[in-house]
Amino acid sequence: MAHRLEKRVLLEHAEDPDLRTLDGYRRLAGGYETLERAYKEMEQDEVLQELEDSGLRGRGGAGFSMGKKASFLPRGDMAKYLCCNADESEPGAFKDRELMQRNPHQLIEGIAIAALAADAGHAFIFIRGEYDEQADILDAAVAEAYEAGYLGTNILGCHRDLELVVHRGAGAYICGEETALLDALEGKRGNPRLKPPFPAVQGLYGGPTLINNVETLSNVPHIVRRGAEWFKGFGTEQSPGTKVVSVSGGVRKPGNYEVELGIPTRELIYDLAGGPEEGHEIKAFFPGGSSSPVLKAEEGLDLPYSFEAMAEAGSMLGSGSIIVCDDRVSIPHLALRTARFYHHESCGKCVPCREGTNWTVKMLERMVRGEATPMDLDIVSSVQQNIIGHCLCVLGDSMAMPVGAMVRKFREEFEEVMANPDLVLDPHAVVQGAPETLGAST
Amino acid sequence: MSPVDGAGRSNPNLPVDPAVNQGRIPGRAEEEIPELHEVDCPPELAERIETLMGRYPDRRSASIPALWAVQERYGWCTPEGIRQAAAVMRVTPAYLESVASFYDLLHTEPVGTHRIEVCTNISCWMRGGDRLLDAFKAAAEGDDANFFVTGFECLGACDIAPMASIDQRYYGPLEAAEAGVAIEQLRAGDEVLPEKALAKRGLAGDR
Amino acid sequence: MSPAGREVTITIDGREVPAVEGEMLHDAARKGDVEIPYFCYEPKLGDPVGACRMCLVEIEGIPKLQTSCSTPVREGMVVHTRTEQVKEAQNSVVEFLLVNHPLDCPVCDKGGECPLQDISYGWGPGKSRVIDEKRHFEKPIELSPLVAIDRERCILCYRCVRFSQEVSEDAQLQLIERGDRTYVGTFDDRPYVAPFQGNITDICPVGALTNYTYRFRARPWDIEHAGSVCTICPSQCNVSFTVRDEKVKRVISRDNHEVDDGWLCDRGRYGFEMFDAPERVREPQLKGGAVSWEQALEAVAEGLRRAGGKVAAIAGDASNEEGFLLQRILRDALGSPHIDSRPSRGPKADVLRRLAEPNVSAKVRDIDEADAILVLGTDPLHSSPILDLRVRKAIRRNGAKLVVATERPTALDGGAEAIARYAPGQAAHFVGELASAIGGSDNVATPVAETLRDAGKVVVIWGERIAREDGAAEALLDVAAATNMSTTDGAGLLEIPDTTNARGLREAGCLPDAGPGLSDTTAGKSTEEIREALISGELTTLVLFGADPLRDFPDTPAWEEALTAADFVLTFSMHDNATTAKSDVVLPLETHAEKDGTVTHPDGRLQRVRPSASRPENVVPNILVLSELATKLGLDTGIDSQPTAFQALTNAVTLYNGIEDEQIGGRGLRWQDREGATSARTGTEQPGPGGPPEGGSPDTQRDAPISMVQPDPTPRGVASADPPSGGPSTAANGDLLLGTYRDLWAGPVTELNPPLKFLTPQQRVEISRTDAERLDLKSGDKVRVNGIEAEAHVKERVPAGVVFMAEGVSDGNANALLNGGPVQVKIEKLDEATA
Ligand SMILES: Cc1cc2nc3c(=O)[nH]c(=O)nc-3n(C[C@H](O)[C@H](O)[C@H](O)COP(=O)(O)O)c2cc1C
Ligand code: SF4
Ligand code: FES
Repeated sequence: MAHRLEKRVLLEHAEDPDLRTLDGYRRLAGGYETLERAYKEMEQDEVLQELEDSGLRGRGGAGFSMGKKASFLPRGDMAKYLCCNADESEPGAFKDRELMQRNPHQLIEGIAIAALAADAGHAFIFIRGEYDEQADILDAAVAEAYEAGYLGTNILGCHRDLELVVHRGAGAYICGEETALLDALEGKRGNPRLKPPFPAVQGLYGGPTLINNVETLSNVPHIVRRGAEWFKGFGTEQSPGTKVVSVSGGVRKPGNYEVELGIPTRELIYDLAGGPEEGHEIKAFFPGGSSSPVLKAEEGLDLPYSFEAMAEAGSMLGSGSIIVCDDRVSIPHLALRTARFYHHESCGKCVPCREGTNWTVKMLERMVRGEATPMDLDIVSSVQQNIIGHCLCVLGDSMAMPVGAMVRKFREEFEEVMANPDLVLDPHAVVQGAPETLGAST
Repeated sequence: MSPVDGAGRSNPNLPVDPAVNQGRIPGRAEEEIPELHEVDCPPELAERIETLMGRYPDRRSASIPALWAVQERYGWCTPEGIRQAAAVMRVTPAYLESVASFYDLLHTEPVGTHRIEVCTNISCWMRGGDRLLDAFKAAAEGDDANFFVTGFECLGACDIAPMASIDQRYYGPLEAAEAGVAIEQLRAGDEVLPEKALAKRGLAGDR
Repeated sequence: MSPAGREVTITIDGREVPAVEGEMLHDAARKGDVEIPYFCYEPKLGDPVGACRMCLVEIEGIPKLQTSCSTPVREGMVVHTRTEQVKEAQNSVVEFLLVNHPLDCPVCDKGGECPLQDISYGWGPGKSRVIDEKRHFEKPIELSPLVAIDRERCILCYRCVRFSQEVSEDAQLQLIERGDRTYVGTFDDRPYVAPFQGNITDICPVGALTNYTYRFRARPWDIEHAGSVCTICPSQCNVSFTVRDEKVKRVISRDNHEVDDGWLCDRGRYGFEMFDAPERVREPQLKGGAVSWEQALEAVAEGLRRAGGKVAAIAGDASNEEGFLLQRILRDALGSPHIDSRPSRGPKADVLRRLAEPNVSAKVRDIDEADAILVLGTDPLHSSPILDLRVRKAIRRNGAKLVVATERPTALDGGAEAIARYAPGQAAHFVGELASAIGGSDNVATPVAETLRDAGKVVVIWGERIAREDGAAEALLDVAAATNMSTTDGAGLLEIPDTTNARGLREAGCLPDAGPGLSDTTAGKSTEEIREALISGELTTLVLFGADPLRDFPDTPAWEEALTAADFVLTFSMHDNATTAKSDVVLPLETHAEKDGTVTHPDGRLQRVRPSASRPENVVPNILVLSELATKLGLDTGIDSQPTAFQALTNAVTLYNGIEDEQIGGRGLRWQDREGATSARTGTEQPGPGGPPEGGSPDTQRDAPISMVQPDPTPRGVASADPPSGGPSTAANGDLLLGTYRDLWAGPVTELNPPLKFLTPQQRVEISRTDAERLDLKSGDKVRVNGIEAEAHVKERVPAGVVFMAEGVSDGNANALLNGGPVQVKIEKLDEATA
């Protein structure tokens, strides 16, 4: 049973393994009825209008209006493409995995309807290579959908075609960046491209391309089925709808919770995810994955969980993934973990990101080894400043923002660790059942 | 010692090793696109790659899937395997190597049969990911032919932290002690940690 | 990108700067004298990549800084390049670049001419805050036998890799790994061996890629740069010699968009080391040894006088002035009409005149804008390498459609829309069919004609050797007519001749049936007729100027015989070779780093070869030698210097009338384009519609259908009817038809040149899979082909029934097998390849 704070739309019936099959999806969720109606009765512009009216914002990180983005695609008979971004590689995010694993047909139906709005004849699901199990599930579902005539040529006799290919990546976070995704899908190294041109104008194989996140596209059948007004009935004015939020880290019940946008963050963390372990308190949290600047508990817990509230607090909702740090987590070590991730994942194409992430990691390593001075802390801060806004894509910023925020908000903790590295007996904070071994003094 | 510190080994211009001056056959540069008959590509592999190429509007899009196919066949992206895929795809082997080396899951060096990736990113780290990695490494120690154990960035399963991906399937949350169990099960060919498989978990809110 | 062209005004740093809409801001700024630092931007390498972030500027109305290399100019743009914000960005990018750079400038070859050094100094913060360890690589290591790579110095600007991807399209040089672990490398660490690799050393902005031939040879402050033209092949690329102590130490590009686009092939770049080979002819030689110039010229004059008019001359590698003087000596001093400048047969003078009409001539730059390109009877990679890059660029950037029609598979096949393979000896037949197919008939050439019909601007790049066949050149003119070349601006024919200054020598009068300016003259014997006449005794004396018939001309045995039969052979040669060994007098030639003179590019561009390095002590300017020889023979040419020689040339050659040396300058002048050229076309280039490049890039092989052209059933044809594959098929006795080609690397440029020696080709026989299977051959097997030993090489794209072998190689030169007609060969297997 879902908790009273949950509002399951995308995850409705998700506990039933049958939902994964075409029959189950049809029976439990009225699957593909919307597709049938859209293909048989609706024009491109009607679908587009419905999506625009709904105010659905992209769930992949940037939060841009999905309908608006689709409307940017030029009209004409050039080949157009739709890419579903299922690369989900940002630390803390695991909601797309859940959606694909439990309800693959919802995504496929969403893609097929979105393809109508984009007038795309070819669609791809770019799924990270690690999600092999989910890719297998998608492959099976796609095969079923082809079989049933929801994909392929002359869909439901409506003289429309859509090819859908599940394309597995091979392990590179940067491929989640939309233009890097396109390069990877074209068979190249996943390097981001210069923008403009934006993918909507010149994307895959040079054609207009709509790129959306798994969760964004999974919303599409519901919006088209029940209307924009229904959708706007959830959430806030600027953040309509529900959101599948991944909560992890120092909480008792980590997992995905689908809630209306705008619910108090505290309820999400405490009531749904169970709050911190016995005897501990929350020190800080990432509200939107590891790329979002950390919020101190006192800054963030009482904010509504919405795009606008998080932005106002100097952070972001991002992909909607909360990582909770309790009082045992050493922030300098957390900063190092975070920086290491971006350093490892930087594609290397542009200088500030490639060298900035590398240099930051080296400096942070020196800090936690006790080989740094407070001046180094200033250098770390200034390096983060020098990265922000200077890179080809925002991967560099994605490190610089949270790391910069950590240094800014927890400066004393850095100074303390630098002075007494030995005090942190086990920097690899162990939350569950671990001895009390954490942070120097916090 | 030559004035160019030992470099240019095959350049007869340099007083290093004139014996290397073998001459070359016209037009053959080592890395040109190999012709199919030169690479001895197993027919199933060639067919598989052809099928993959057929799925895309531009056949080059199949480079990652083709490299997966090579890796599946040879255990890793061997130079020979890369040349075979290159011949089928009609791209240079260098191009495919460049692609392969970009991605963490494609291996351009030999690796063990079973691949174990242990997440050491933020959420797993907080819950003991590093220890889990150490435990897997200790359990698989000395058996590189069978096991490839590596730390990995976030695998997208922070809900089951600390976790590991074993042969492309997710397991968690794992106790360090379960590493040894999993390794033994892999050795014996048994199902791995059945109760810890991600596939078996319910929704968080229902637990 | 929008169809650019509109003049707009933008404001940079408070100053109004005129610009062209759509051009990159960086370029507009440069034209307006605003310098913006940059590393990765290089328009020659294709679209900007925006990787280095050095060129960030502030544009009003856009919150984030933008890369000026990738921002197209719009009317009214207000740009700031010196604000605090921009300075901070520049400082930080330089600081980031140096995080991993070793700063080993004192021992770096690039020091003093290094953009990284200059930009760090000019735009960097001036001090480093980095105390952490830098990344380490083994250094320097061999990227190829010619190029060293120091990966620690690399700033990952990707220029070299983009060159390999987007210019030479060999796709061998790649980025390996990711992030700051990325390095530039090759597959399996094999050497980067490709004909244009040297260019990467020119474009690398740091000391990461350096030439082994130049390492530690000189520093920027003790060198001079001297501009000249490379005359190793007909491409005549513009080069700059790096000279130290009057010796050439390096060759770099002098970037002439009209000729070479700023690239060089490795032959031109590294070939200079043969100037100093021990085989160099450094002084006059009589049979038996070196002599003084006085003695030599006396002997020559004596030998030529004795010939009593039974003398002939063949020019090969010579300047226009040298050719002009040579034909004057022949015609006016010795009274002989027998002079030629072609290795084999060629079209008659009247056809040559029609081919030289400006309205059917294409210039190199027309390739860039062509709608369709026909590569006919030549593989530019081997015969004029720089044009291979040019054609690729036209396809990649301009979406030009390529048609290849050749005997042998070419390097450009992968980018072709249509390919035709005709049998060796069938060029004339094919071109004839092509002309009528373009005109609408349905025949064997129809599949390829379709791409050319109504294509708009068609440029035909054709190999001189197709014109060895009777009627081929005439048929080519029919193709020109069928594609409306004479009335289409930017369309035309562009010949790739077999020798470096073929056009100049023909126009200077080195033809048996045409004098200077292709004028009418008493007909003499052509190259092959000269050979036969020497054998028969009708002629007794031969002058070879920069020609080596025993290596380069077809039918080596006949040439051996002719040289043996001749009473007196005078050879001007740069190096000792088999021909000089059979000569009575050998006189030294200057290299293109030593010579002063003009040459004419195949598209009619007169270019100046300038002396850049000192000659060996006893080598004197060849025009002086020739004019002195003329005087000795009683002909006063009035020529005593390059200027007087040039004057005499332009006076005599009507096409060149009135051209002044200054007009040629450093960039050359097409005689068709000069002011007052009577027959020159007046039209200027229209900026093309410049549509977006095709989505697919041409280095993805296109799989063009290959149409096999049936052999002409009548004369010279290939035996056998009904070939199963549609191609020429094997004769009943199992013999195969021989096709030959001149290999890029065959000749002294590799054999006498230590750094390029490793590229020296050995003979191999390219054979189809069908024939290989029938003969139980696989690649690597040793075989004997009509007496020549070679290695078998099975090639998918070689048509059944034909084999190909290289001309000009030192052992087993295929010229030895050629006899002016179709040649059938037998292949015997000798040894299995060792696995
Ligand atoms: C470094 C980087 C990584 C990203 N990773 C993902 C990802 O894994 N999944 C995703 O949906 N979007 C990701 N994005 C955002 C995408 O670029 C893009 O904005 C998104 O897919 C658009 O879909 P939406 O509008 O539906 O959110 C990433 C962006 C950046 C800069
Ligand atoms: S080697 Fe030179 S050209 Fe190539 S990426 Fe490095 S710095 Fe650029
Ligand atoms: S020159 Fe503009 S980013 Fe490198």
